[in-house]
Amino acid sequence: MNMNPMPQQPGQPGGATPDQLAFFNSIFRENCPFKFVFGGVTGFALGGVFGVVMSSFEFSGPQLTPQLQELSTREQMRIMLKDMGNRSYSSAKNFAVVAAIFSSSECFIEGYRAKNDIYNGAAAGCFTGGVLAAKGGVKASAFGCAGFAAFSTAIDYWMRHSE
Amino acid sequence: MSFFMNSAANQTVNMQNMAMAEQELEMVSDLFNRIVSSCHTKCIPKTYIEGDLNKGEAVCIDRCVSKFFEVNKSVGTKLQQMSGAGLPM
Repeated sequence: MNMNPMPQQPGQPGGATPDQLAFFNSIFRENCPFKFVFGGVTGFALGGVFGVVMSSFEFSGPQLTPQLQELSTREQMRIMLKDMGNRSYSSAKNFAVVAAIFSSSECFIEGYRAKNDIYNGAAAGCFTGGVLAAKGGVKASAFGCAGFAAFSTAIDYWMRHSE
Repeated sequence: MSFFMNSAANQTVNMQNMAMAEQELEMVSDLFNRIVSSCHTKCIPKTYIEGDLNKGEAVCIDRCVSKFFEVNKSVGTKLQQMSGAGLPM
């Protein structure tokens, strides 16, 4: 007779009790609106870093006009930093939108299907791609859906089978 | 207030109550084990990626337990109707 509704959880971070674990899960892992916000914040941070990295590649190119070289070093630095800030901010915004829509839609789809497999990521990717490309019409939406779904499925597959 | 007066009379009632309580405990624990076993079979796939329940499994288990109790209740109601109408079971 194995009647143990609340078993101990060995190996949990900090030795959490089952109640604490349920609370933690209910906020961070099972709450879809929270995932929207959290995905947005994480996407913003990631996009910012990505934008800084990409902007560092971009500047040492055709932007070096003679006018720019005439300015003092401090002025050049200021212009470069402002450009870097703009690029990283726009990249951060894009990433934030994508991550927020993707994580929240995946959460909702998983909650609806009550299953955890690879099709959740594909469907969420299709929805995200479709929404992002919605301004270009139906065909662009379809392409966005297919592309993002393929990307998301590939990442999911790699994450699930990488061990 | 002594529990040792009327010990003979109290003995029979307590035995009946105890038998009923034992039976109820067996029924409840059997119900619990059935729910756990059936919902585990239905909702949790065989390959384990991690130890925690993810959202899909949590939703599935909620629905599974709820459906189990609904089925239990409706079958019990049906059986009561049948036995009330005197039909052979």
